[in-house]
Amino acid sequence: MAEQELVTIEINGIELQVPKGEMIIESAKRIGVDIPFFCYHPRLGKGQAANCRMCLVEAGTKQPDGSVRMMPKPQTSCSLPASQGLVVFTDTVAIQKARRGILEFLLINHPLDCPICDRGGECPLQNNTLFYGPGVSRFVEEKRHLPKAFPISDYVVLDRERCIHCARCTRFSQEIAGDAQLDFLKRGAEMMVSTFDDTEFTSRFSGNTIELCPVGALTSRVYRFRARPWDMKSQKSICTRCSNGCNIWLDYRPNRLVRVLGRENEAVNEEWTCDRGKFGHEYISSDRRLLSPLIRRDGKFVTASWVEAYQLIASRIRQAVQEHGARSVGAIGGAHLSNEEAYVLQKLMRVAIGTNNIDHRLEPNQLSATDGLLGRFGVPFSQNAIADIEKAKTIFIFGSELVDEQPIVFLRARKAWFRHGAKVIIAHPEVTETELRFDEPVVLRYRGGTESTLVNGLLHLMLASGRAVTDGIAQDELQALRQTLREYTPEKVAQITGVETEPLHEAAELLGEGTVILCGAKLRNGPRYAETVHALANLTVLTGNADRENGGLNILLPEVNSHGAADMGVLPDVLPGYARVDDDAARRRIESLWEQKLPAEPGMSTQAMLEAAARGQMQVLYIVGEDVAQKYHDTELAQHALENAGFVIVQDLFLTETAQYADVVLPAASVAEKEGTFTNTERRVQRFWKAFGSPSPDVKPDLSIFTELAVYLSKPIPVFSAEQVMDEIGQVFPAYAACRYDQMPAEGVRVQASAVPSPQLVPVQTEVPAG
Amino acid sequence: MAELKVLFQDIDVPGIQTLQVYEQHGGYSALRKALGMTRQQVIDEVKASGLRGRGGAGFPAWIKWNGIPKDESKPHYVQCNADEGEPGTFKDRELMMRHPHQLIEGIIIAGYATLSKVGYIYIRGEYTEPARVMRRAIDEAYRAGYLGKNILGSGVDFDLYIHMGAGSYECGEESAMMSSIMGERGQPRLKFPHAPLPTIAGLWDCPTLINNVETLSCVPAIIRNGGAWYASMGTEKSTGTKIFSVSGHVNKPGNYEVEMGTPLMELLELAGGVKGRLKAVIPGGSSVPILPAEKCDVNLDYESLQAAGTMLGSGGFMVLNDTVCIVKFMRRTAAFYAHESCGKCTPCREGTRWMVKIFDRILAGGGRMEDIDLLLDICDQIDGRSYCALGDAAAWPIRASIKHYRHEYEYYIQHGHSMVEAQQSARA
Repeated sequence: MAEQELVTIEINGIELQVPKGEMIIESAKRIGVDIPFFCYHPRLGKGQAANCRMCLVEAGTKQPDGSVRMMPKPQTSCSLPASQGLVVFTDTVAIQKARRGILEFLLINHPLDCPICDRGGECPLQNNTLFYGPGVSRFVEEKRHLPKAFPISDYVVLDRERCIHCARCTRFSQEIAGDAQLDFLKRGAEMMVSTFDDTEFTSRFSGNTIELCPVGALTSRVYRFRARPWDMKSQKSICTRCSNGCNIWLDYRPNRLVRVLGRENEAVNEEWTCDRGKFGHEYISSDRRLLSPLIRRDGKFVTASWVEAYQLIASRIRQAVQEHGARSVGAIGGAHLSNEEAYVLQKLMRVAIGTNNIDHRLEPNQLSATDGLLGRFGVPFSQNAIADIEKAKTIFIFGSELVDEQPIVFLRARKAWFRHGAKVIIAHPEVTETELRFDEPVVLRYRGGTESTLVNGLLHLMLASGRAVTDGIAQDELQALRQTLREYTPEKVAQITGVETEPLHEAAELLGEGTVILCGAKLRNGPRYAETVHALANLTVLTGNADRENGGLNILLPEVNSHGAADMGVLPDVLPGYARVDDDAARRRIESLWEQKLPAEPGMSTQAMLEAAARGQMQVLYIVGEDVAQKYHDTELAQHALENAGFVIVQDLFLTETAQYADVVLPAASVAEKEGTFTNTERRVQRFWKAFGSPSPDVKPDLSIFTELAVYLSKPIPVFSAEQVMDEIGQVFPAYAACRYDQMPAEGVRVQASAVPSPQLVPVQTEVPAG
Repeated sequence: MAELKVLFQDIDVPGIQTLQVYEQHGGYSALRKALGMTRQQVIDEVKASGLRGRGGAGFPAWIKWNGIPKDESKPHYVQCNADEGEPGTFKDRELMMRHPHQLIEGIIIAGYATLSKVGYIYIRGEYTEPARVMRRAIDEAYRAGYLGKNILGSGVDFDLYIHMGAGSYECGEESAMMSSIMGERGQPRLKFPHAPLPTIAGLWDCPTLINNVETLSCVPAIIRNGGAWYASMGTEKSTGTKIFSVSGHVNKPGNYEVEMGTPLMELLELAGGVKGRLKAVIPGGSSVPILPAEKCDVNLDYESLQAAGTMLGSGGFMVLNDTVCIVKFMRRTAAFYAHESCGKCTPCREGTRWMVKIFDRILAGGGRMEDIDLLLDICDQIDGRSYCALGDAAAWPIRASIKHYRHEYEYYIQHGHSMVEAQQSARA
């Protein structure tokens, strides 16, 4: 980035240098000068705010003769850009009077119902009034009356009397979320925030407006009247509702979660949360939590002690191994476990039971972890950091309802477009909500199942245009690819995929250096996933994005720790760090670290385990934190498998549908009741901390359950803390060595890519019936 | 002194609204002449004329024209402000109703000088009749080749669109008008130094020339006769003529075009003299401070009126005789601004409504002496604190009325009724 030009300005007689164009309200922070405000927000558009008029300052410019020419009117410091010789006074008698005036104006129609307002105690209007406001009001007229406290969605309550018309919520909904659901109705003193025609406020990001609101006009239906801010404690945590890894605060009082707030992390979620994240953690303090182990006796669950449960499990596992071999035992789950737990789980299966039957995947594509991108780019799923998406020149969203699947990645992608002018391509078989959040993106509406043909068609055009980046690519590989792609002419591709040639050409022209490809569920779960990934990898290489910050291929993952579970080896064919179990050298290295012989034969994938179970060939199925009966892509198979498995152990927070099939149910602790790390979809490892204790002493963190079970299996895995497990992970998988708790920075650590040879091309021949 | 008709020169010619008659009276000869000049020559001619913006602020027109970038890296626009919302002002209505081609010709010349290919006339929503006249005239101009592609074979393109307002006073403010044209809420936008000038980043962030109907209507005559000719009229700093919309207590209300610098009392005579005894004049629309009768010995130009403590404004010249109760008059004015405040900025949104509430209480007999100073203080807190001048415009008249007629307020508060009305009924 070019060196920023600095200018010299003066604030209250203090000279300082700041970047040219920086807003004075920000410059003042540099020297600790407080300027009160309501409508200003650094992440919202600077363009058209400046309406609360709270941040007024007196300003002037230094003349060549050294005198200062003051501007006739006070200026809003939130929109006043720093320029050479600008002189600012923030605390003159006139400004003090102006601030009192603004606050008096804001308060004359504010209901002052602070004692029953959720914002009370953390309210900018209260705070600014205390510091800068008038002690008494001169207003003796009747206040403005408007509808109070009515719900505008399942999550948000609107109180129009409290609103101070700062437009933060309306700007958020228009600029950041992009759904433009909130706007002002009417004008002047009658102006009010409203959804269109009082319809429901259905934004996926509505919770942020509650946090942005500087008064209690927008409050949370979930949190309403539950606590006062000073009664709560807060703990740093990570949202578990998707793989984005948003940083959140868990606000709780003694042992109950009362609300979730966004926590700043510039690298991940900035400060936003989606509504799933903000309102979707109620389960933690649900009354339906499991409070003790359950054992099925005569077809009914009865409460049991942990000792009983462990003894039963251990005996059934021993019996299965003795009678049917270790391959008759398998574990499914891990994408919702912390890295430390996932690591210990797979170690338990491999060391204490001696099987590689372990898998965290519930989606249809359960290919070998080493077949995909790992060999080509040194990363299993994602090349780019979330924060770097906003630097992209072109955003290519492939087979994803991004706004739903990956809300925070979506916000970055939208920011790249809205703030930085990135171009947008969207490939999806159906109309998505995502494409409505961008103005006129290039849309490639392919027929499901023709993904790889579509990508080959784009590659064909890239090569034909001569814009392909071919430096450092072996000529024979390039030749082979050219050969394969020859027949993928736009006309033929159009015929097969149903995408017209015009958008195909338009899309091909937008591809180039700085193209970030974001792939989602539609692609991940499609029939041609494997070959499409390779075709997209070819595209990534030929657009010069094989090793680039603001360009690359990203297969976004479904669950909070899908990435971590894969990294930790919760897979049937690889050990932690993607060491193949059938690669003798790699396995022996880990055998020596664990001082234990490991099975060299790859285990069964989730699909294979369920199929085997359905055939009655699985003696023990250990299901950890996944409602397989409901969530497996083939629910019929899953239910069949659970019915026919010899012995089913379910470890979860609730008596899920899967648990109904269980022989033993183990109650596990929630994310708020334990500590550990998650690895998000951009491979960032982030810590979460224990906020409060479990709802019952008989609810245990998964880590304890695994280690205690290992003891009952007579193969102790000595573990005393998550921190200690992470130290061990760092030895087994050196890319995680930087994640030791004592050296982990606040914004987390991205797992380094492993070294790979120079970019390769893998011709993808798609077998598509000729049109 | 009589009227001096430049804009109104041909206004009484029957059928001047039609292209044929307009052409017979020299119509579009200025456009032909301009197309034969360089763009800079056209701008220089406007500079020489000394023409100042007639919308209210009196900013020299040529500086805006010259401020438009000389390259075409972005499209340029001309935005003609026909949202004549200022109470007491109805000159643009007449210029559009009765002389539409003069305005169209002015806009095309402005477009040529500023490299613009598109112009918008933003007509206030209530002006349906003028809009229809403009529509017909624009259609005629298109048919005759004055608008559209390759105007008069010159290679210059210019398209002109009418954009109707929706009844908001605020949209007459140039930046709110831009918002409105772009389909946004009619609220003002950040101004220099917080944002670039419209001449650099106006409509859709492109260079935009914004002038009032009257300003642009002056252009054909300036090009035809030369800037020096125009500058020969009026005063040194306020050149040319100005249309005043005279209303209120006069015998012949209407639009009168007079030379800049004409004594105020002469305009009153032109309008048939005052009905009854003159109490005060509001010379530039309801936004400008009131001028009491004893200060009416002043000339009508930007500088003189400013020296007298008021402003030329839009030329909405309202005459009040001694039957007018200032307190009630100001209640009406305050209610107008409270109604028209767009609501964006705190002081204007809350302050204007508060003042109406205070006025209502005073009129209902519940006034307190401290209300007068409270009104003054609220005016101080609104003035200069908002995005645009609507807040200022709400404060100035009230402040001036208290300055000049404080005794009427005091009387009303003390007695619970109007002093003027009490005097009248005593007389009767």
